[in-house]
Amino acid sequence: MAKKEQASCSSTANLQPTLSQPHPSAASAAPASPQARFRYLATMVVYAVLILNKAGGLIYQRDFNPGLQKLSSNDYLILAGTFHGVHAITSQISPTNDSASSGLEVLESENFVMRCFQTLTGTKFLVFAEPRQPNLDVVVRRVYELYADYVMKNPFYQIEMPIRSEGFDRHLTSYIKPHQ
Amino acid sequence: MVVYSFFIFDRHCECIYIRQWLDTTSSATQPLSRPVTASSATTVAISVVEKPTSGSKLSMAEQAKLVFGVIFSLRNMVKKLCGPDDSFLCYRTGQYKLHYYETLSSLRFVMLTDIRTESLKSSLHQVYVNLYVEYVVKNPLSPVEHGGGEGVNNEMFELGIDSFVRTIP
Repeated sequence: MAKKEQASCSSTANLQPTLSQPHPSAASAAPASPQARFRYLATMVVYAVLILNKAGGLIYQRDFNPGLQKLSSNDYLILAGTFHGVHAITSQISPTNDSASSGLEVLESENFVMRCFQTLTGTKFLVFAEPRQPNLDVVVRRVYELYADYVMKNPFYQIEMPIRSEGFDRHLTSYIKPHQ
Repeated sequence: MVVYSFFIFDRHCECIYIRQWLDTTSSATQPLSRPVTASSATTVAISVVEKPTSGSKLSMAEQAKLVFGVIFSLRNMVKKLCGPDDSFLCYRTGQYKLHYYETLSSLRFVMLTDIRTESLKSSLHQVYVNLYVEYVVKNPLSPVEHGGGEGVNNEMFELGIDSFVRTIP
């Protein structure tokens, strides 16, 4: 029950820490008054969320804001498979001698930034957002929490298969686009 | 900041220049000179030292191939997602950051640094304008196509790269 309440008001709860410690780039661009700064941080622009299973198959894809091109479902599958391979190679070409080498975490381009989070079981969460979007790691963790709550705890969900869960859709929308 | 390595790929997807600065890998891969009558203690010690290097570390040429595969795939992925005007800038893992710059003639500059380094897009552009164009393109003795890195690895270019990397903040 407590979890549900947190989910419903997560848009404000998760932005609280960023208010006390604004990101350097956000602080420079944000207006001075606290009210205006809150509004600035609340307009979080996440373009899309993708979830990949441990074999590199796409199990969830959803666009939230316009910003990325519309692709066919086949193209999204190709993209997921390509990313899965690239992620494995990026941990191979690490120039340091650390054995615990992680794969790609943040990808930056001119028009977007992508944050990748890989769970211990190999599931990957990709969040595409505006460039210079602060606290994307918080967003991706929250998506993981929602996945654990509304997908993994769903008794009808078959593991490694595409996610068709209304509860997950609803909570993801209310977290990423709270005011629309 | 730390610069680990620097690669240039030409428009035929061939690696024409490799430079490695912080040699963290080769110190551990010395040829094994084990005495014939080695005691069990030394054998154990050697096997412990050898363990982390076996299979995980690649030669620079192999690494260049993997780097090219990664940047090629990511570049295509970015162009597919955001249209042909977008360009891939860099990615970061837990250990290193890879910076990418592509010229209009499909010459690709790649630099691997530590993760705290800011974006090096303008720096790599400077490498292209001030070093590559000056010392490789304008060199009358340099061939038009740099098969096998011919013409790129001249002394002025190497010295320029060296001093340039030291000035990157």
